[in-house]
Formats: sequence, structure tokens, C-alpha cells
Amino acid sequence: MNKKLSRTPLLHTLSLSLMLAIGTAQAQTPAEQELLRRVDQLAAELAKLRTELAQLQQQAPTQPSAPAASIAALVEPAPAAQARTVLGGYAELNYNRPNNNGKDAQADLRRLVLGVQHRFDEKTKIVTEIEVEHAVASAGDPGEVAIEQAYVEHQFHPNWALRGGLFLMPMGLLNENHEPTAYYGVERNFVETAIIPSTWREGGIQLVGQLDSGWTLQAGIATGFDLNKWDAASSEGRESPLGAIHQELALARSRDLALFGAANYRGIPGLLLGASVFSGQATHSQQAASSRITLWDLHARWTPGRWDLSALYSRGSISNTAALNMPLVGSDSLIPARFDGAYLQAAYKLWEQGSYVLKPFARWERFNTASRYAELGAGLTPEASDSERVVTLGANFEFAPGVVLKADLQRFRLNKDLNRVNLGLGWSF
Amino acid sequence: MRLALTTAICSVAAMAPSGAFAVDYMTAEAAAKLMFAEADRFELQDWLLDAAQLQAIAALGVKPRSARWQLRLAYKGKELLGVLVADEVLGKFELISYAVGVGADGRLRGLEILAYRESHGHEIRSAAWRKQFVGKAQGAPIKLGEDIANISGATLSCSHVTDGVKRIVTVVEQARRSGRLG
Repeated sequence: MNKKLSRTPLLHTLSLSLMLAIGTAQAQTPAEQELLRRVDQLAAELAKLRTELAQLQQQAPTQPSAPAASIAALVEPAPAAQARTVLGGYAELNYNRPNNNGKDAQADLRRLVLGVQHRFDEKTKIVTEIEVEHAVASAGDPGEVAIEQAYVEHQFHPNWALRGGLFLMPMGLLNENHEPTAYYGVERNFVETAIIPSTWREGGIQLVGQLDSGWTLQAGIATGFDLNKWDAASSEGRESPLGAIHQELALARSRDLALFGAANYRGIPGLLLGASVFSGQATHSQQAASSRITLWDLHARWTPGRWDLSALYSRGSISNTAALNMPLVGSDSLIPARFDGAYLQAAYKLWEQGSYVLKPFARWERFNTASRYAELGAGLTPEASDSERVVTLGANFEFAPGVVLKADLQRFRLNKDLNRVNLGLGWSF
Repeated sequence: MRLALTTAICSVAAMAPSGAFAVDYMTAEAAAKLMFAEADRFELQDWLLDAAQLQAIAALGVKPRSARWQLRLAYKGKELLGVLVADEVLGKFELISYAVGVGADGRLRGLEILAYRESHGHEIRSAAWRKQFVGKAQGAPIKLGEDIANISGATLSCSHVTDGVKRIVTVVEQARRSGRLG
């Protein structure tokens, strides 16, 4: 113990001596002198800058800058910092005037939709849309209020996302892109309303893949149709068989769920090729006979330069309708075994100036909401319907991005009484 | 039927290419290295357009988003190869981050989507769509439905990114003429 203590003071003394020696030496090293020289140099440069600044201040009054207002007018406002909650919406106001029955002319706020999208984080968001049709919904008025979309989307991979909730079925060209600014004509085409019941949504789970090759793949499981809702006394089923029995997550019968899938290819700029299919049982064990409803479509859209060309074919089938129709014999609307339709459309950007864009278009379509009935026996089987053919000629006139004025003529081949002039005003944001 | 579809879904999922795990696909730095692979260094330069320059840009029918721009200059030795500008535009609801590369000759080197958050329209990231921009200079229309083809279902995203590219090409051309890139 004593030996250790006696060593410590000696070590301290030695280290202190060494430090002092080093310190003394450093005070005189060339490095120190170099640092001092640099400090002097910086001081000189600072003085020079101070002089230049004084000169600039003297010159400033002689160079008046442009007024701030004129600069502001030249600059487009930058997008706001990423908002977590975004509002959107669209609306359609239509005027329909039958040529031969002016007394049946009708004006309608067909629909007004408000959407809210909220992003929780980089991977997760909700998408919602609420719709009011025909302006007023009450016991004494013809309108209705509906939820069009209400789903959560979670991106679990850069190319893949999952959706859960009430979402649009990925079918046709119109169903997922149905704002008035997204289609030509005052009314949506008949094929995508009578055959594909746009706007068509169901509740379920959907996998969405956006592959780098240009493919968009969608598949999932969802609520389907309810054939128990078929009202044989109503004309609704003849206007749109599936529109009469879709459930859209309104206390939806879910004993049987449906599978759906869609593939769209956009790998060539300006071209879209796609196909979709939806299939599910539709009686939910409520009837002795089970019945499967299947709907599929093929579609294409090509936009070379100023042209916008589209084509679509869709077909639906309902199985085992003989057993379901037997008790309904004699009613106005029996359940069809098959229904289909097709359309061709061409539009051209004829004129553009500033925010004004004029796009005339022509559309030909054929559709049949009951192209076949199941055999019920001699004298009992209804006759298949004839196909209706409609030609629509008109123009979309955009006068601001997202606002469109429309006018068109529609000629029906079978139901000539429906020939009409349509005017429309729509917006989307 | 169900089993077949399920199997198809699984096999399709297996085909998915691997990549960064986010809707952010790329940084501006990575885009710069991609478009100017031969560069050995990059230099950030802030540029404030004056009123005359803003008016010159507006006269070409382009509304500059801001008077202040950040240019990422790509050099090989002392030679300037070009400039990269990162920017953002709205898709339909959410912001799209993108980067535009312009060569020292004023021609577009490329377009990269840095982040995309919309539910639809990811196809603007496809190489085929972005390739349409390569080689164009200020004189080209760079306009959707003219020399840039649309992607059906992603019209707003295509339109706004196309407008953004034209804006950047015009701004960079002003920088060239004013000697900022000399």
C-alpha cells in the first residue's frame, strides 16, 4: 500500500511536466503560425465584403424591382403541402326532352356526390363517397341517398394493395371512372347501366396489383346479388336485370359470396385493353333451387392524338331460372337466363383554346336485357326480347378543367318514342 | 372455380417484382444518378427567377409554379452534363412527386416518378409512358393528347405530370439562356 502511494505523486509530476513541455513547443510550431495567418486573411476578406456591401446598398435605389403583384400574377400557386384529408365530389344536372312527347320533358339533378379521402399514413387511407340522387330524398319525393364508396386501402408492397369495405366493382370502362367529366354524352351508355349496373359497388375484400409491366390486376371476394329481391311485377328487372337485385352492402344477404377478377393492360401509352368477370350464387339458400349469376366484359380504349375510341362487350347469365320462374309465370318480368350488350364510341378533340375544349362524339350501342329465357314448357316460355339499338350524337364542351357542358341527340330503333334531346351540366373535382 | 382463381392470385402475387417497400419509389438523388449515370458529381444550386424571366416563361403559355427553383447540376469533370429538377403536382387527390432530367443541350433526359399515392393511375410509372418524354425540347408541344398519349383511368395524373414536365423544361431553358448552366 505504501509503495503504491509513493509511486502516484511521481507519475503525476512526470505527466504534468510533459504536458507543459508540449504546450510550450506548440506555441511556436509552424502550424500555429499558419493558423494566425489564415485568421488575418479571413479578417481582410471580411473587410472587403463589408466594403462591397456598402457599395451595393448605394446602388440599390437606382434599380427598382418589379412590383410584387405582377410577379405573383406570373406564378401558379404550388400545391398545398400534402393534406391528410381531401374533399372531392361530382355532380350531374340533366335535361331530357323526348322529341315526340314534349310533355314528358324532365330536368333532374341526377346525382350529387361528396367524397372524403383521409390518409392515416404513407400506406393506409380511407376513401368515402356519399351520393344524393334526384336532389331530394324524402317519403314524398323520388330521390335517394346512398353510400357509393367506403373502404380502407392499405399498400403492403410498392405494387400491391388491399382494400376492404364498400368499393366499386372493377368492370367495364365506366364503373370505376364514372364522373360526368369522364364519359361522353349526357347519359351514361346503356350497356354499362342496363347490363353492367353502373355505378355498381359491393362490400368485400379486394387485392389490387399495379405491375411495372403495365398490368393492373384486381381480384377479390364480395357480396353479390340477391335473386330473392326480384320483383316480377316491376319493370325494373327489364330495364337492368342486375340493377334490380344488387345489394350494395345494404343489409346484404351474404350466405353466398361472389368472386371477381379484372385484368387491364396499359403498357402501351394511349391503349387500354381489359377484361373482367364476376360470379356468385344469388339465392342464399332462400329458395329450393340455387342459382349462379355470372357477368363478364371485354373492353378497349385507344387515344391516338386527338381521338378517343372505345369498344366494349358484356354478357350476364343467371342459371337455373326455369325453377325460379315457374311460380312467376304470367308476371310482367320473368328472370332472364341471359342478357348482353356492346357499344362502339368515337370522340375527337375538335377545338381548344385556353381552358375551353370541344369534343364531339358518336356512339352506337346494342343491348338486350333478356336475350334468352330458360325453357318452361310449351306456351309458358316468354319470348326473348329484341335487342335495342341506340345511336347518340353530341358534344362535350369543357370550359374549365373539371366542368363540362354536354348536348346530344339519341335515336332508338325499337322504342322510337324515347328519341330525345339531352342537355347536361357536370363537374368533378 | 374458386380454387383455380385463388391459385391464379397466388401465382400472380409471386410474379410481383421486388422493390422498396413504400409508395415512395425513388429519391431525387437516385433519379439524378439514374439519368446522369456518367456524372461524377452533383451540385445543388438555388435559382430565383426575376420578373423578366417570369414574363418570358408566361409568354410561352407556361405558368411557373414558383419563382424559386432548386437545380441539381450534373458534372463529369468540369463538363456540365445537364440538370435535374424535382417537383410535385396533384394527381386527383394526392401529390405526385417526380423528377425531370434535362441535358445541357436542352433535351429531356428522362422522367422519374418519385412517389405516387393515388388509388388508380400508377401506370404513369411505366417505362413506356415516361419514355415518350425523352428527347423532347422546349419547342415540342409536350401536351397530353398531342405528343403525349394518355393512360385511360389516369387522365388527371397524366395531364398534371405532363404540364409539370413542360414547366420544368421551360424553366431550365431560361436557366440555360441566362448562363446559369454555363
